Amino acid sequence: MSTLRERSPAGYALAAPAGLWMLGALVVPTIFIAWVSLWAARGFTLASPLTLANYAKFFTRPAYVRVLGDTVQQALVMMLITGVIGYSIAYFLVVHVRHPGLQLAVFLLLVVPFWTSALIRTIGWIPFLGVNGVINQVLLLTGIVDRPVEAFLFSRTGITLSQVSFYTLLATGPVVYTLRNIPPSLPEAAQCLRATPLRVFWRIVFPLTLPGVMIGQILVFLNVMADFATAQAIGGHKHAFLGNLVILLYESGQLAFAAVVAVLLMIAMLLGVAVLLKVVDIRRLGES
Amino acid sequence: MTDAPDLELIGVTKRFGTFTAVREVSLVVERGQFLCLLGPSGCGKTTTLRMIAGLETADAGEIRIAGVRVNETPPWQRDIAMMFQDFALFPHMTIARQVGFGLEMLRRPADDIRRRVADALVAFEITALADRKPDTLSGGQKQRAALARALIVEPRVLLLDEPIGSLDYNLREAVMLELRDVQRRLGISFIWVTHDQNEAFSLGDRVVVMNHASIEQVGAPEDIAERPRTRFVAAFVQGTNVFDGIVAGVEGDHVRVRTPTGDFLVSAAHVGPPAARAPVSFSVRAALLSAQPGREHVNQVAAVCRAVEYLGAIRRYDFRLGDGHSLKLEEFTGRGRRLAEGEAVTLGWRIEDGVLHAPGEAPA
Repeated sequence: MSTLRERSPAGYALAAPAGLWMLGALVVPTIFIAWVSLWAARGFTLASPLTLANYAKFFTRPAYVRVLGDTVQQALVMMLITGVIGYSIAYFLVVHVRHPGLQLAVFLLLVVPFWTSALIRTIGWIPFLGVNGVINQVLLLTGIVDRPVEAFLFSRTGITLSQVSFYTLLATGPVVYTLRNIPPSLPEAAQCLRATPLRVFWRIVFPLTLPGVMIGQILVFLNVMADFATAQAIGGHKHAFLGNLVILLYESGQLAFAAVVAVLLMIAMLLGVAVLLKVVDIRRLGES
Repeated sequence: MTDAPDLELIGVTKRFGTFTAVREVSLVVERGQFLCLLGPSGCGKTTTLRMIAGLETADAGEIRIAGVRVNETPPWQRDIAMMFQDFALFPHMTIARQVGFGLEMLRRPADDIRRRVADALVAFEITALADRKPDTLSGGQKQRAALARALIVEPRVLLLDEPIGSLDYNLREAVMLELRDVQRRLGISFIWVTHDQNEAFSLGDRVVVMNHASIEQVGAPEDIAERPRTRFVAAFVQGTNVFDGIVAGVEGDHVRVRTPTGDFLVSAAHVGPPAARAPVSFSVRAALLSAQPGREHVNQVAAVCRAVEYLGAIRRYDFRLGDGHSLKLEEFTGRGRRLAEGEAVTLGWRIEDGVLHAPGEAPA
């Protein structure tokens, strides 16, 4: 699979435009952020002396550490929820909706919301979750509650609900792909070897879709870690993740400290991906 | 164990939408029989096999394994095992693990599984592969692993769907003989699906020829090859010449068949006299034609030699008749001279060499 070709000068020339772009738009700014995070000065000055005090400050303030913890916890909760729902949708789509046209139609239903902007989608949740929102109206009408529930909007529950709706597809797509790649003869062979459907699933189907599950988990993890818009729109100002903290600090002019949070966010994301990649070799994706 | 046949199909039918894949198929497989389901692709042989396994449900009819109706029994409770054309080895399991998979599913004790897997690996000479994953195995090794995995649950019937179709050609002969040996040694029934008549004829105790969802003929390989019951079977079997015509008269046990290249007499002893002027077909095996006809060769026809194939023990000729129809003739080498291409000859055969087909399918 890994066919590394001999490197030729032409290859470098071809890679140069994209490489320069990545260098200017990604590598240099990242290094710059890391550098800024070490600034001792409060404002913008390239002559600032360097110090690790900013990091020390972050870890000695419980409020900041709690935001880091909340962010990681939110990502883990989201991975669990979207993992289960996404897998169920993928399984339903591939195994139960056999007709190709119908499969496409259902998949489009899932994808279409992604054609609208993230902002609209997020704001769209507000009339749904609010005190006079759709959920509360339904709950009141059916008599399940006798007073509107306030816990939906401006709460972690609300944030989680809307994030689930945004990110489940990320956990679905890769599983659909790996499920489709399983030859039908494998589960059939297992059945003929006395395996009940449940054991066919856990012993054959699920292990073979693990690379897809892991890719979905990585996508959800990265997106939730970096998500600040949902917390801002749905969570009001009561809830903050690392992304919100970066904005908050940046807006209040604490550049170095904003950079610290940004660097920590990046490190957390890289660590998370490294751990997930250790669990399953995603390079086996697509091998049957 | 009971004395019931290993497998019985009674009027089994399978439809996919408006398409009938298998139509009222009935057959019996006695204890320890090697049965081959032979037919062109799309004839319903694989669907029949999958219904026996329980991977498809029959829309009508009854399937019995060891005398017990299994129509409602799921695959994992049927006393069968199956070999798939692509071997269906589990890519994430070592060979030892998947050979033991069936026993694991039967919740046998771990010691028991380990011992029997070790025995199976020895029996199929794949002990060295125990810790390897399937993607590192050759075709022949995969085939052995799949066989070991299927047989470890000691099924009453082993179903094989084109089991050597994906092997290299030069490997097939050896694998066929080996599978035949295994079947004889274990005394279980094999039901072998193939489109290759050489496989079916050299392996099967009995051969079932299928076409268009139905059984055309059931019999020993010799029956199928030498006494094809229908025009389809005759045309499907290699080395057989098929003639189409109409009944021009019935003369005692013989039928006079009028074809575009002349009238021929065919014995009708085993099918009974057909109606006058009815369309009929008959076949003559290539090995029974003679290029030096004598008086006993009542049926004679003028032909031109078009091609000669030398196959070692035999020569195979391709002749062209006056109407463009082609005739095949096979003769032992070392007897008589080789005819030249373009040479005009008279071909002949005896009345009893022709086999009249049961009425049915119109000539293609």
